[in-house]
Amino acid sequence: MDKNLSETIDRVMKDERLSDESDVRVATAPFQAEFPYERAEEAQVTRREFCNFLGLTSAALFIGTGGFAVKAALDARESESFAAAQIAGAEDLAPNSSLNFNYPSEGESAILVKTANGEYHAYGQKCTHLACPVYYSREHQRLECPCHEGAFDVATGNVLYGPPPRALDTIEVQVRDGQVWAMGRKPTGGEHAS
Amino acid sequence: MLVMINIAQLWILAATVDAALARKFSVLLALVIASAVCFLITISILRWWRPVSHRKTSTGYIRTSAKDQ
Repeated sequence: MDKNLSETIDRVMKDERLSDESDVRVATAPFQAEFPYERAEEAQVTRREFCNFLGLTSAALFIGTGGFAVKAALDARESESFAAAQIAGAEDLAPNSSLNFNYPSEGESAILVKTANGEYHAYGQKCTHLACPVYYSREHQRLECPCHEGAFDVATGNVLYGPPPRALDTIEVQVRDGQVWAMGRKPTGGEHAS
Repeated sequence: MLVMINIAQLWILAATVDAALARKFSVLLALVIASAVCFLITISILRWWRPVSHRKTSTGYIRTSAKDQ
């Protein structure tokens, strides 16, 4: 009985002494010589390495935060001047409908809305949530974002509901001799750098 | 703690991006300072808060006998 017990203990202890890697095939193939892969070393990341990695990550995040803030502040200091541009086709726009145009540059899409009572309102078309293009909903008479169901007031550009955190960028509109002109773009939702 | 600081800095970076897009420039400086404080804490942890070695006591004296250990 005692002998069996001691043999069992010996066998268990021997099994525990064996490494998990004992049955791993030895890397002897020719291609394995070019990519020496030490499995035991690969699996182990020392505390020092991990802490150093976290330290470098911390430095990178700090530099990123500072750089982004400086760039945003510098961009805001530059005086933005927008040239007036005629919105082609706006004069023929029916009430309670919209027209897409590009302003102030070709790459920046905007939306002009002629309300049911004949007023013109124009906004940057990027939703302030995740930059999906907003569209004018004739049925609800508001600007809606199709991505996450946000909605904006057509008269002010303010958020009616949904995830967008701030109002749409406003484009100033003037009617001159029956022609509709875009006069400037005003970002909304915050301060302006002096 | 280092992991938590990294997560906090990631959150600060996200807040900075959001503040810049919302043109709330007055909070940018505070966010940068907060990230700098986190970085300084990280540096202090890496530089000074090292584990004590087996041979040295926390005050720097070298242990001489097994009894001391």
